[in-house]
Amino acid sequence: MIEPSWIAGLGVILFGIGLLGAFLHKNAIVVLMCIELMLNAANLNFVSAAMHYGDVSGWVFTAIAIAIAAAEVAIGLAILLSMYSTQETISLEAADILKN
Amino acid sequence: MAKSKNEYNLLAPLLIPVAIVLGLVIAPGFDSSDAAILIVLSPLVAFPIILISGQIYNGQDKWKNNLKEGGIIAVASLLIPLLVSIWIIGDNISHTEGHNIITWLTDWIEFQVLEENYALDQGRVLGIGVWIDSITLMLIFVASFLCFLICWFSMGYMNTDPINENRNHRFYAEFVLFAMGMFGMVLADNFLWLFIFWEIMGLCSYLLIGFYFWKESAAKAAKKAFLTTRVGDVFLMIGLFILYDIYDSLEFSVIFEDPSLQGTVDSTKLFWALLMMFVGAVGKSAQFPLHVWLPDAMEGPTPVSALIHAATMVNAGLYLVARMVPFVVTGDGYNGVEGLDDLGLIIAWIGGITAFMAASIAFVQNDIKKVLAYSTMSQLAYIFTGLGAAIWLYNNHHYYAGTIAFGASMFHLFNHAMAKGMLFMASGSVIHEVHHAHDHIHHENDQSDHHFDPQDMRNMGGLASKLPVTATAMMIGSMSIIGIPLIGGFWSKEGIIAETWASFFYSEPMMLGPAILVLLTAGMTGFYMSRMWFMTFAGEPKTEVVNHVNENTPWIKEPLVILTVISAFGGLLLSLFGIVDYLAGKSDHLSYKEIIYTLEHAFIPEDKKLMVIGWTTMFLSTIIGPIYASRVHGGSLNENQKSNLLISWLVTLSGKFGKQDVSEISQSSLANALQERLYIDDFYDWLISKTVLPFSRFSAWFDKNIIDGIIKQIETNSIFGSLQIRKITTGKARDYILMTAVGMLSIFLLAWGSSR
Repeated sequence: MIEPSWIAGLGVILFGIGLLGAFLHKNAIVVLMCIELMLNAANLNFVSAAMHYGDVSGWVFTAIAIAIAAAEVAIGLAILLSMYSTQETISLEAADILKN
Repeated sequence: MAKSKNEYNLLAPLLIPVAIVLGLVIAPGFDSSDAAILIVLSPLVAFPIILISGQIYNGQDKWKNNLKEGGIIAVASLLIPLLVSIWIIGDNISHTEGHNIITWLTDWIEFQVLEENYALDQGRVLGIGVWIDSITLMLIFVASFLCFLICWFSMGYMNTDPINENRNHRFYAEFVLFAMGMFGMVLADNFLWLFIFWEIMGLCSYLLIGFYFWKESAAKAAKKAFLTTRVGDVFLMIGLFILYDIYDSLEFSVIFEDPSLQGTVDSTKLFWALLMMFVGAVGKSAQFPLHVWLPDAMEGPTPVSALIHAATMVNAGLYLVARMVPFVVTGDGYNGVEGLDDLGLIIAWIGGITAFMAASIAFVQNDIKKVLAYSTMSQLAYIFTGLGAAIWLYNNHHYYAGTIAFGASMFHLFNHAMAKGMLFMASGSVIHEVHHAHDHIHHENDQSDHHFDPQDMRNMGGLASKLPVTATAMMIGSMSIIGIPLIGGFWSKEGIIAETWASFFYSEPMMLGPAILVLLTAGMTGFYMSRMWFMTFAGEPKTEVVNHVNENTPWIKEPLVILTVISAFGGLLLSLFGIVDYLAGKSDHLSYKEIIYTLEHAFIPEDKKLMVIGWTTMFLSTIIGPIYASRVHGGSLNENQKSNLLISWLVTLSGKFGKQDVSEISQSSLANALQERLYIDDFYDWLISKTVLPFSRFSAWFDKNIIDGIIKQIETNSIFGSLQIRKITTGKARDYILMTAVGMLSIFLLAWGSSR
């Protein structure tokens, strides 16, 4: 039986990796993947907490979050596609029209 | 060109008001005083009707020709007040019981006052009601009668002038609204409603003076009149506040007749209240020093001058002062207050100064309406002097003399209103016909002669044969104003001058000034009125235009004829019936006096000193003034020109006194000063440019630099600040993520730290 604290620790590491990736990468697809990573790190935390407290609602939240993440990825990819069709790049450096 | 066609069939709608009033007279249980409210309601209803239908039907044939652009509606709505007021007068002068009728129509505002111990008092009510006494009766008759006649006259004067095309509905609407204000003010039973209607008249005066608002001079005159009278109105309002403070009420019935107030009134405080109210009256009645608006107000159409600035509105101030007389002990049971000598003196002095000043300025005016304007000021000043003398006499318990002074002043108001309304209409007739004649002869040749002024008497002369009706009317009117014995104003003017002197003889040296001034003015009146008449009607025609004048405009002659008869015989008749006592409230009804008694009273009074004064006045005004005027401006008509007997005789007589050349005098510095209205207007200009204008400039500077400056500084600073803040937003997603992450982290750290 794996300790819930190990799972939570994995979540923290995964979240840190995702956050750093989101900061450092210019490619929008990679950033999107990093965001997914952070989301799943949060899911791991839910799961570990559910195990720790013996409460089923953590798993339920995780299941819902995964379903929503799938929808969110679809929307994110659609945004990236339309960005590419207008700007011919998906580099986040170029996406700064809200500047100032 | 004016048609001489008979248009009386258009008057058929006038049968409606006649029927209404007759129905009310016959209706059982309906008293004349119940109908009094109709006097105000009828023009009030007509005002929107004329204005709105004027906007809708403007320019349509039927509206223009059959309804005279609203003129018929206006005349009809003014006929009801006339008939009702005649009905009320008929009821009242025959009644022998008390003559004050007070009708409380309805409560208007109820309120409670917070007293010093923070408790509310038992509540007070401001009401709407009707107060009818002899002064009300006289003024309501003058107002409704003149309004009716002048409205009638306007249908001839306004509707045949192409400059007014399609605008007359505005004139008639404002006219009836004005009439409503005058009627309401006269009938009001308290000072509050008096003030409200007073202001309505002020507004209508502004609108009507500025009727030709596209002319700069008219617009300016309207503004001047409004602002000058406003100065007085502010003082009037202050006076009313003090009055309310004294009496806790503005009802006439409370102030004059509530026995519980007997002897409780502080006369110093009352003096200030009345003085403030008097300043209001000075503004409205164009007395020195607030007289400057009246001559300029002649920019309005002539009927407006006739109605507002001679016959009714300027009487509002006199009416107010007449309402102030019962504040003094009059010896008949009112709440009299002692110690108001000074008020009487101030009023008499203002009157005397204005009378003299206006008469001397009238000497040199060449505009026929301006002469009449200054004459109006001068005559109103007579009435003020009389009222001032009345207050002084009452206050010193000379009740009999006070009664005569008060009654004579009110009677002079009547005579002057009738005569001056008619004189203005007659001058309107002259101006109108001269203008038409000028247009007529210049229409074919050239239109370049725009410098011709149809109001300038130097363009007239010899009009007596061309305008016989107008000439007769103007002659009788002038005689009434001058005070030729037995005609019109003689009966009242004599009384005013005599009683002013009487108060001097009763050991008041301060009265000598007004007394001498009004005596001199009597002679001056004789000069300037005769001068105006001779310049206009006698002698050789001074321009070609005069030969083409004729008297054919419809609607104009009837009012002139009616008022001529009243001016000529009204004074004598009313004197025979004891009008002076009646107006002063000494008798409850008119009763016939012996003709010998009346004449003896006027010509051979018991007091020998007063007899001397009376005969001096007559000598000055009847002999000296007119003869001097005829020496300067008189002269017989051309050989082939005829007029009626009376005028021919007068004109021929005027040519017999020889000729005097006055060109030297008219170049003198005094004459120039008079031409410039004694520089009073210039002085006000100077004063305003030295006081009000710098202050306004400072205020403008303060507003622009200090107040706007602060606001603008705040604005620039915020722009700068927001520019700085905007630099944070780089538009890059990663920066936002960083900020979010750092923010979240710090919140968590804070939460974690504080939870420990």
